[in-house]
Amino acid sequence: MKPVYVIAVVVVALIVRLALSRARRGGRAGSGPAPGTQGAGAAGTRAVWPGAARGAAGPGGARGGVRGTAAGLLTAVERSLGDVGVIAAREVRERVRGRIFRVGTLLMLVVIGAAIVVPTLQGPTGRTQQTVAVVGGFPVEARQLVRAVASGNGDSVKLFYEPDVGAAKAALRSGKADFAIVDAKLLLLDEPASAANSPADPALVQGVARYLGVLAAFGTAGLTPSQAALVIGAAPAPVRALQPGSKSATRSTGIIGLVLLFFMLTQYDTWILIGVMQEKSSRVVEVLLATVRPIQLLGGKVLGIGLVALGQAALIVGFALALGAAVGSDLLKGTAPVVLLAELLWLVLGYAFYCWVYAAAGSTAERQDQVQTLALPLSIPVLLAYIFSITVVSTGHADLFFKILAYLPPTAPFCMSVLVSLRQATWWEFTGSVVISLAATVGMAIFAARVYRRAVLRTGGRVHLRELLLRNAR
Amino acid sequence: MSGLLEVRGLCRKYGTVTALDDLSFDVAAGQVSGFLGPNGAGKTTTMRAIFGLTDLDSGSVRWNGVPVGQAERRRFGYMPEERGLYPGMYVREQVEYLGRLHGLSAGGASAAAGRWLERLGIAERAGSKVETLSHGNQQRVQLAAALVHNPEVLVLDEPLSGLDPIGIDAIGHVLVEQARAGCCVLLSSHQLDQVEDLCEQVTIIDHGRLVAAGTVDQLATSGERRLVVRVEGERTGNWAEGLAGVSVSEMHGGAARLVLQDGVDSDDVLRAAMTAGRVTQFSFGRRRLSEVFREATVAAASGPQS
Repeated sequence: MKPVYVIAVVVVALIVRLALSRARRGGRAGSGPAPGTQGAGAAGTRAVWPGAARGAAGPGGARGGVRGTAAGLLTAVERSLGDVGVIAAREVRERVRGRIFRVGTLLMLVVIGAAIVVPTLQGPTGRTQQTVAVVGGFPVEARQLVRAVASGNGDSVKLFYEPDVGAAKAALRSGKADFAIVDAKLLLLDEPASAANSPADPALVQGVARYLGVLAAFGTAGLTPSQAALVIGAAPAPVRALQPGSKSATRSTGIIGLVLLFFMLTQYDTWILIGVMQEKSSRVVEVLLATVRPIQLLGGKVLGIGLVALGQAALIVGFALALGAAVGSDLLKGTAPVVLLAELLWLVLGYAFYCWVYAAAGSTAERQDQVQTLALPLSIPVLLAYIFSITVVSTGHADLFFKILAYLPPTAPFCMSVLVSLRQATWWEFTGSVVISLAATVGMAIFAARVYRRAVLRTGGRVHLRELLLRNAR
Repeated sequence: MSGLLEVRGLCRKYGTVTALDDLSFDVAAGQVSGFLGPNGAGKTTTMRAIFGLTDLDSGSVRWNGVPVGQAERRRFGYMPEERGLYPGMYVREQVEYLGRLHGLSAGGASAAAGRWLERLGIAERAGSKVETLSHGNQQRVQLAAALVHNPEVLVLDEPLSGLDPIGIDAIGHVLVEQARAGCCVLLSSHQLDQVEDLCEQVTIIDHGRLVAAGTVDQLATSGERRLVVRVEGERTGNWAEGLAGVSVSEMHGGAARLVLQDGVDSDDVLRAAMTAGRVTQFSFGRRRLSEVFREATVAAASGPQS
């Protein structure tokens, strides 16, 4: 993968991310249904989750089926987890319903789709139809040779005969022929094949020219045409790699995965941050905490947003794998799906770790501007790990420092994913990092729940961590 | 149905500020109880303490003899002063959601939400987002959310503030109805006269301390006699200043409310009024809650009150 391409993907992802956070902020201020839709509102909101309201699958068709399944899952979550389930289900409904989420998902699918499809269009696998005018002698071996070169090149050829060179030249000028072969010795083109608007496939022209020359040379060397054809048609010796798959493709997949990982981690953790702050500032939290425990409220929120994140990520990875298989993309060959799955796992682990940090931070803030001052320092480890990882995956060289980062919970989601895509992590190293991350997540959850419980009911200015801890010690 | 909410010995200090100072009182079910006091008296802190939203230094809250915990609070309804609703959520879903969190089934919450929105006259806004509603209608949604699970105890922090008289009547009517059905209703207000008609029982606090408690009737008829005297063209009450054993409690709507000590002849007061001008009103009155409050706080400042 070319560096320019990598940079383009990274930049597009950052722009989309920025645009979405802007849109969300803008959308808050002037929302609400247009006049005249009030009566229809209740019916309309129902229609979004038909299965949730009725506890049954939606109407037939693929969309209805998907919604029905999702709604069925939601109902199951609600039933099995009690209050936490009810809280999580509300988060899922409200988030999935939002235009930001839908547009964002669509945008990501488009970007991923483009990342998978565009390289295959540029590559040699794109088939083109080549029309070739033939003048004079054209032995059957030469014909087989042209067809062999064409199919090896991904082209299909159509041959037709012209009586003389003049007619062939006319056919070239009129565009009836892409190139012409004279006496199986000379290739004629209207313009050089390398010209931008030349209809002839340069690779085909080069291959045919080369092998026609070889064929003529064999004749000169005294081989019969059938002997010559046997030599030219010899199968190449098999090439066997010790490791399966293409390293560069796995690496490219790793990069796309890293971009998604960064995008989704910051997106969903910011949702947690803002969600907690808004519950506090609107004082909904008082009504909620009058009936549920703080840990239930926080757990439900984390679970709900986590389910949305996982659902979106699974959709994108599933889409990428299916599309990659359909168009035969190099990006998903060999171990690339394993890398994607590892990144999916690290998305879950990274979210699980960071969501508590962001929740605790959100509970100390009461206004949008306070959230923004909090969001910047919180996003620094993620941002650094992301940039560092992109660099390492591009150069393919991970140093000791980077390997250490792969075991630290704040940076592991990116760094360990990179080690997987570079094949520089064994399964036990991977598992070790997962275990460390899980343990840190439990510790962070306990700490965050404590901070949240203290801070979320405190109003009037930002709550500082020191006060909470002092009060806690009392 | 009977029930008793007991608040015992609540203490809470914020740094050097004492918010609650050994506050104890009872709230009986079956009637509307007012929880009164000036701004900063500790009303909101007390109500938050009932729901475990304030860390107390000491004290306890019991419902029918049982310390109030998570299980009890699920059967309580709370309407905080600063409206606690999700601005971007649809009205009906919001009420249903709070119903579910108070233990209703999905079907039960849906039916109850529909019923309460209908009852409070906002059924046609059920599909609107909360933030598009007027202040009064948001207050109704908040009340519906507090009532949706048919609570045993209903605690409302300033439920009538910012409402027009029609809104006050509508919400007041629902609260009285709930109380008659056996609910324990406690509502706070710093506008004492606003709730005078609504409440049968009042608890008055100041500086985190209890200053008076009892039925409105008891409080209104206890203490010294009241005279309401209106003298045409006279809006200061200065004419009564010189009379022995008589003091002007307050001027209300152009009429002087006078406090008469024992042994003062009301005829003397009438004569004094007639010399000041044409007397258009002369009647014995009840103590207003604002007078009860003022006198109680003055008494509390000079010594402990039983």
